[in-house]
Amino acid sequence: MKVALAQISPHLGDLEKNFELHIKYIKKAKKKNVDLLIFPELSLTGYTLKDLVEEVALPLETNTFINQLKTASCDLSLVFGFVEEKERGLYYNSAAFLAEGKILHVHRKVFLPTFGMFEEGKFYAQGKNFHTFSTPFGNAGMMICRDFLSYGACYLLFAGDSEIIIVISAAPGRGITGKESYETSRMWESMGETISRFSNAFLIYCNRVGFEDGKHFAGGSFIYSPLGQLVAKASYLDKDFLIQEINLNDIREARKKWSYKRDDKPEVILEALKRIIKNYED
Amino acid sequence: MKINEPFVEKILTTFINEELSKFQYKKGILGLSGGLDSSVCASLAAKALKPGNVFALIMPYGKIFSDDVKEAQKLAQALGIKFKIIDITPMVDIYFSNHPTEDRILKGNKMARERMSILYDFSAREKGLILGTSNKTELLLGYGTIHGDMACAINPLGDLYKTQLKQLAKHLGIPEKIRKKTPSAGLWAGQTDEKEIGLDYNKIDKILFHLVDKRMPKKEIIASGFKKTDVDKIISLIKNSEFKRKLPIIPKISARTIGHDFLLPYDWGK
Repeated sequence: MKVALAQISPHLGDLEKNFELHIKYIKKAKKKNVDLLIFPELSLTGYTLKDLVEEVALPLETNTFINQLKTASCDLSLVFGFVEEKERGLYYNSAAFLAEGKILHVHRKVFLPTFGMFEEGKFYAQGKNFHTFSTPFGNAGMMICRDFLSYGACYLLFAGDSEIIIVISAAPGRGITGKESYETSRMWESMGETISRFSNAFLIYCNRVGFEDGKHFAGGSFIYSPLGQLVAKASYLDKDFLIQEINLNDIREARKKWSYKRDDKPEVILEALKRIIKNYED
Repeated sequence: MKINEPFVEKILTTFINEELSKFQYKKGILGLSGGLDSSVCASLAAKALKPGNVFALIMPYGKIFSDDVKEAQKLAQALGIKFKIIDITPMVDIYFSNHPTEDRILKGNKMARERMSILYDFSAREKGLILGTSNKTELLLGYGTIHGDMACAINPLGDLYKTQLKQLAKHLGIPEKIRKKTPSAGLWAGQTDEKEIGLDYNKIDKILFHLVDKRMPKKEIIASGFKKTDVDKIISLIKNSEFKRKLPIIPKISARTIGHDFLLPYDWGK
């Protein structure tokens, strides 16, 4: 299958312009016979929304932008990020997977970073699940940015049998001692390598670029194979459109070599977690 | 604290470029003093915007810093940027002839604000955005004139310590004469930053880096070999200058208040 990552710089708080940007990339991807096109976190809205969150929030079922993207997904599968008004007055940082004209799954960000430069917990309601769902290509799971830095969350997708793990991100870079990238880029890459290798799953990470209120999104989107090998890499800092053919048989090959999936013990982990939680002090 | 210079150059030129185009400006304006910081800023702007879109104002007070003026002029010519020399003596002198003082700081602050006022005038005339030249060291210590040299539209240098800027300056090919100059706010002849603050930049930056970037407790910084009095001095400078890094504080009395819970992004719609 052919995967494309649109490493874009969305316009902050401008749905119309961002929708046009999505359509532009969808057209480009169609020309290249892409099967799955992935956009970064909050690709329809931009990231640093603050009080604009409610202004750009979309109801999933009735919005014209989403309906048009649904129609576009008859030709190729799409993953994009948006603000979702799921319940009245409750806003989620969400990722949708569209295929064959339908919404196959919506993931709502669970880990809302609220520390230092991040203030998502102030504006968003928290998602509550990490779900594996079936797609035309196999089982997939989605995470949004900080979700992916939780190895517990990654484990849930592994235990749920995700063969393709899709992470959409709006990760600002920090640390300038590095050679050609921010120090934080290395953090995402090491997680990508580790999780793909030990889940025997494809790991697709789509980050964005551009500045918003002085925060510099670091780019460097990537794809790791089910054996933990780097398959494709987008540029750091610059806009990019990464297209990569991946072979889903690699999942089988990886599982033949390593029996992580076969030997996994979710019931042991579940029981142990229950005991840990039971021992919490009041 | 060492930086990767080409990487930082790329970040900062991208920043200048993006910020200006977001707000539909082509030109960048800056005050060029002949010192390190404004030279670095001018060089970055020339790379980011093309030299023809950078306008430097060299604004001496009389002849006291004539060497600096020469170096600023030379640099502007070498970078191929536009420049103009405006002597601020008449505006400053007329004010102090009516309100005399011997206080050098009062005079220096007035000069810094006079330059700011000219920069903003040229910002409107030339339709350009003002590029700030305050570095992280100065901003943290509050070593700058509020609404004077600290005033700007965007500040590309604000997250780099003075010693890091020195590294960047070398990489950008800023002439040695400028790089080796003793740093001075240029408020009066013979003034130097290090004399005034009472510590050298290497020490200041290391202490700041531990305090701010590493969030190291004071005790540990002292234990790692810095004098308690030096660390205390720096902490007190940071503490007493927070007002220079914030918009004026507003008492919250309504449901939604600027500076408290009226939270809009700067880059809204860009």
